[in-house]
Amino acid sequence: MSIEKTEELILNMGPQHPSMHGLFRMVVHLAGETVTNIEPKLGYLHRGMEKLAESRTYSQFIPYTDRLDYLASPHNNWAYVQTVEKLMGVEIPERAEYLRVIFGELARIASHQVCIASTALDMAGWSAWSYAFRDRERICDMYEMTAGSRLTVNIMRIGGMSAEPPEEFWPALQSFLDDTPEMLEEYYGIFFGNEIAMGRLKNVGILTKEMAENLSITGPVLRASGVDYDVRKADPYSIYDRFDFDVPVRTGCDSYDRTIIRMDEIVESIKIIKQAVRDIPGGPIMAKVPKVIKPPVGEVYHRVENPKGELGFYIVSDGTTKPTRLRIRPATFINLQMLPIVAKGWKIQDVVAIFATLDAVLGEVDK
Amino acid sequence: METLNYLLETLNNLFLIIADAIRGLFADPQSVWANLTMNVINFIIVVIIVVLAALILILLERKVAGWTSQRPGPNRLGPRGWFQTIADALKLMGKEDVTPAGADKLIFKIAPMIIFCLPMMTLAVIPYGKDMAPINIDLGILYFVAISSISTLCFLMAGWGSNNKYSLLGGMRAVAQMISYEIPLLFSLLGVVMITQSFNLGVIVEAQGTIPFIVLQPLAFVIFMIAGLAELNRAPFDLVEADQEVVAGPFTEYTGLRWGLFFLGEYGNMTAMSALAATVFLGGWQGPAFLPGYVWFFMKVGVMIFMMMWVRWTFPRIRIDHLMHLAWKVLLPLSIVNILLTGLGIYIYRFVMGG
Amino acid sequence: MENKVLSRYVDELASQVNGVVEESFGVLVLKVQATYIIEALTGAKNFPDVPCDFLHDLCGVDSGDHIEVVYQLSSLHGPQLLRVKATMDHENPVIDSATRIWEGANYLEREAYDMFGIKFKGHPNLKRIYMWDDFEGYPLRKDYVTEPIEVRNVVRTRIEGE
Repeated sequence: MSIEKTEELILNMGPQHPSMHGLFRMVVHLAGETVTNIEPKLGYLHRGMEKLAESRTYSQFIPYTDRLDYLASPHNNWAYVQTVEKLMGVEIPERAEYLRVIFGELARIASHQVCIASTALDMAGWSAWSYAFRDRERICDMYEMTAGSRLTVNIMRIGGMSAEPPEEFWPALQSFLDDTPEMLEEYYGIFFGNEIAMGRLKNVGILTKEMAENLSITGPVLRASGVDYDVRKADPYSIYDRFDFDVPVRTGCDSYDRTIIRMDEIVESIKIIKQAVRDIPGGPIMAKVPKVIKPPVGEVYHRVENPKGELGFYIVSDGTTKPTRLRIRPATFINLQMLPIVAKGWKIQDVVAIFATLDAVLGEVDK
Repeated sequence: METLNYLLETLNNLFLIIADAIRGLFADPQSVWANLTMNVINFIIVVIIVVLAALILILLERKVAGWTSQRPGPNRLGPRGWFQTIADALKLMGKEDVTPAGADKLIFKIAPMIIFCLPMMTLAVIPYGKDMAPINIDLGILYFVAISSISTLCFLMAGWGSNNKYSLLGGMRAVAQMISYEIPLLFSLLGVVMITQSFNLGVIVEAQGTIPFIVLQPLAFVIFMIAGLAELNRAPFDLVEADQEVVAGPFTEYTGLRWGLFFLGEYGNMTAMSALAATVFLGGWQGPAFLPGYVWFFMKVGVMIFMMMWVRWTFPRIRIDHLMHLAWKVLLPLSIVNILLTGLGIYIYRFVMGG
Repeated sequence: MENKVLSRYVDELASQVNGVVEESFGVLVLKVQATYIIEALTGAKNFPDVPCDFLHDLCGVDSGDHIEVVYQLSSLHGPQLLRVKATMDHENPVIDSATRIWEGANYLEREAYDMFGIKFKGHPNLKRIYMWDDFEGYPLRKDYVTEPIEVRNVVRTRIEGE
């Protein structure tokens, strides 16, 4: 009879839990406050998108992509419609390309703001949370002006954009761009510069470069581990080769860098949007595409740099109006694999923080 | 001028005059029955203070939260949302009282009651004005700290009795945290006790006629504030009820009025701790004579409470090992250094003054 | 230019693993039998100059008469892309797990198992990931019946009745 040995506490966090960002469940094994093992359990938000796609036409599937990573819905639209366009060989008008870049980068900013906000909130930084959400509202307003909805905007079509932004869009965008440096300073002041926040995030949850490459991690999480890789630079899609921007890389490999790298990315996105607004030509926003979309037989894979990581679509077409197979490569689903490995040995509070820095959106994880 | 002074004097001693009048109704103003009546009245006043404080503070907290996070806060019920707390209280009363299956029923039900009693017991020794302490005891500070540390037990009871793992974790955190922070809390008060040579809160306030002790004991005040926040489980030390990790800790399973009692207790304790800070470090009811003493006192308490709320809505939560580190490796040595410096200071003062 | 280098290496690899090389939308596709998959993947990972050393994606595809596992390989050091397809029997799809090469294949293989019933030999924890544990059938297979039979019958009788 060993009296010294303490009993392991098995704690079931989620699917209904304040810091689980949706319907994520993990079974946490605890020794006191220290985590000894984590088993993530997925599938509580599984809607069978890939199966649904097989019974929808190509255009009908666009609204479903909004529901993947619902915090950056224009980017998901973009990934999907570009894949179909690649399959069909459609050239889209210049103005539509620029508008796509503007909306894609706005989505990136909005998504990163939510990441910063929710990381702060998972550490009880209530004010930091509402600061970031306050600014995200302005992006939602811009979505609303153009597409009519604020979250799942469904703004892109195969061959172009669904709507031309109205006149009041451009001043709103301009004032947003002008205010951003001040906003970032505020985020830094209230959250990232805080001693407690630094103490809780720095040197916590180390994901080394080798581990990241081995685990197929992508996106800001990968770049925070010191890998200089961004699809926008490495394999430019759309018109990203025309813009002058940097890929922010941090080498801390810890929770702090995984979060603050998103601030750097917001700065770069602002740069891109400014250039796009400067260069945007006039003209139509829709290419001439047939009413019934019937891509040729073939298969195509296309990847874009979603705010959360690389989002890929793999479409196998048999020449009919519906895809035979539509595969979504969800970035955060794959990034989530690091959680049990990285969080082991840390306190339960750190697990919550590490999970927040992954910026997992369960719509994308569970598809 | 004369009349104004007289009016101020009357206003300042208003409650004492009323008390004397009530005592005057008895044949012998110092009889047992007169004392008992006065004690009952004092008790009722303290209860009113606790409940009123909770009512006001819950609204104030949400308004402060709105202010720090740049949103309006509650603004629907009544003028500018002032009736929000009343609506919340009514809602809580209407809720079903759920006791989870497998709970330790007695402990589960008794914990919120005890925690609600504590602020009434602690607030009873605070001098609200000159000679206005409901109970004037010589070991005031010691009594205050001893009573407020009972809340540790309540959190543990609630956490254990709920039969919930989150609650248990929260209860364990409460014990670890509150016992650790009691030591720096008491040590930080010792400097003041050394200067005044008394544990009596009334005497301590009297001694601050010229300068409040925050000037003499700035380090002690900082330690007291940090340890007090931790003792109250307020952010950034709210690990016990951390929503994001242990959902609501010991309160997870409580519903309706029982949960409301925890809240009343929390805000009552907050008032009590602010009152102690105002009494010991900010000079209690002492202040320029154009306002009555009790007004000064409640203004100081209000400032302290506002500081606590401001801190809560600004800082992220600290981690448990950092929390322990802060208590044992930073605050405790600092408070001991503070005691040493105070002793040295008193020695030098006496030497210079030839006392 | 780079594509030519890559294409040469892929051709070499294909001859080693009895594979066929195709090109689709500018991406090289290497088709192999399931038994050669580990050789093919390790070979691709160790290409000199243009290594395809990053497992980008892994998914199953049901093409009617056989089941394929599609590996999208890329690299963090260049734009090269390679698609490796492993073909398997439709009734009893078995393949070696890629987790010994890339740990990141873990969840992806679990998903492929969940959706297509592909058994990955040597996988550390081959359980369903999206569907619940006692779910029957493999939803993304072409022969999977979407609604339960009873539900469909109910719907049919109602429609026919009206």
